[in-house]
Amino acid sequence: MKEEKKKVVVLACSGIGKVYGTIARETVYELMERVRPDVVVTICLPLLMIDDPDAKKLVSDNPVITIDGCPKCCSQKNLEAQGVKADRSFQAIKFYTAHKELKPDGIAELDENGRKLAAIAADELAQVVDELAAGGEK
Amino acid sequence: MSKYLETTHDKFVFKVKVGYCYSKDDFWASVDGNTALIGVSDFLQKVKGDVAFLETAEAGTELKQGQEIGKIETIKATFGILSPVSGKVIKVNPELETSAYLINESPYDEGWIYKIELTNFESDKKELLQAEGYMEIMKEKIAEEMEKK
Amino acid sequence: MIPLNVLKVLKVGIVSCSGEAIPGGTVSRIASRKVLDELRPDKTVTICLPLFIAAGGEERKFAADYPTITVDGCEKYCARKSTEKLSGKPARSLLIPEILEKRGMKAPARLRNMSTEEKATIQVVAEEIARTVDEVLGTKE
Repeated sequence: MKEEKKKVVVLACSGIGKVYGTIARETVYELMERVRPDVVVTICLPLLMIDDPDAKKLVSDNPVITIDGCPKCCSQKNLEAQGVKADRSFQAIKFYTAHKELKPDGIAELDENGRKLAAIAADELAQVVDELAAGGEK
Repeated sequence: MSKYLETTHDKFVFKVKVGYCYSKDDFWASVDGNTALIGVSDFLQKVKGDVAFLETAEAGTELKQGQEIGKIETIKATFGILSPVSGKVIKVNPELETSAYLINESPYDEGWIYKIELTNFESDKKELLQAEGYMEIMKEKIAEEMEKK
Repeated sequence: MIPLNVLKVLKVGIVSCSGEAIPGGTVSRIASRKVLDELRPDKTVTICLPLFIAAGGEERKFAADYPTITVDGCEKYCARKSTEKLSGKPARSLLIPEILEKRGMKAPARLRNMSTEEKATIQVVAEEIARTVDEVLGTKE
């Protein structure tokens, strides 16, 4: 029997105050466009706040990974405010502490280190995406 | 219930915990008998940013007031942990090994960095400020930071 | 809220949608940072929308006490609606597709790595936000 792959929703905080928010966002784009283009989808996080029905259905029906910039965990908290718990949660700052040589810069636009860090983060998250996509019903 | 003095600049609220002593270098000491917990002020953690790496001295290390006893590294800066008191390190906050962000989230409580056995507090306290005194210095520093931008 | 007729308002909070799933979100985000960092650095504060929504006390208090300008990437108006819900009606509400249409510009199609033409839309939006800041503050640059 052919195993159907679910979609996996990856939510970034996209915080505008720190470089980590931009890294979280860029990591999602790396996953969506390069690493797992047929599996990973995203939605605009604020849509959950305004009770957008399509956004709420997407996170209720599919496994969700949150990528927050920093320990304030806005993406995770906004999701939980909807009564949905993330299947896995990550913080961009932890990707940096694991790769100290890639000190990122740039909030509006990431520098080369930031882009490399996001690419590495996406590669590391690929396995998590695969596990969740192959998993059972939510 | 803990009391804080507060000052607001733009959207940032800077807090100073009442009952602690403060150095002009923005570190605090909370004294309890012949020991003290030490940490960074809310102002310092806000200005420097999210803590990414922490380098600390070992238990047993002897130190003088103002001496550098470790380093904190954020995206924006690397700066020394300058002890506000003299003494000997009893222990380093074990939570910081996995949760360095506590220094940012709870600078006056869960984010304490060292527990120190005091050796010269009667003399050290002459160089330290109470919350009200530190608040005035902090306001000047906030104004300087804003001018830099 | 501090009444505007009592206190001369010196700063404006910019609430940007930053929507991850639409190009308008990228434009909104970069344009808002441009205003904060380059065009009106002394007159603006950025309100981080995810933090604002996730009970960021400082963000909400500022938005309640000071005028805000919301910048939305699409007609779902997440930034405007969130601000209205959590802190009060914004002083101005900007919609990026509307700004670009007035200038006869095509909205970007990419979420990132924008072309020169697409980047030009960011500059236009940033200038419009800056002009709106001046209007709200009653100042001119």
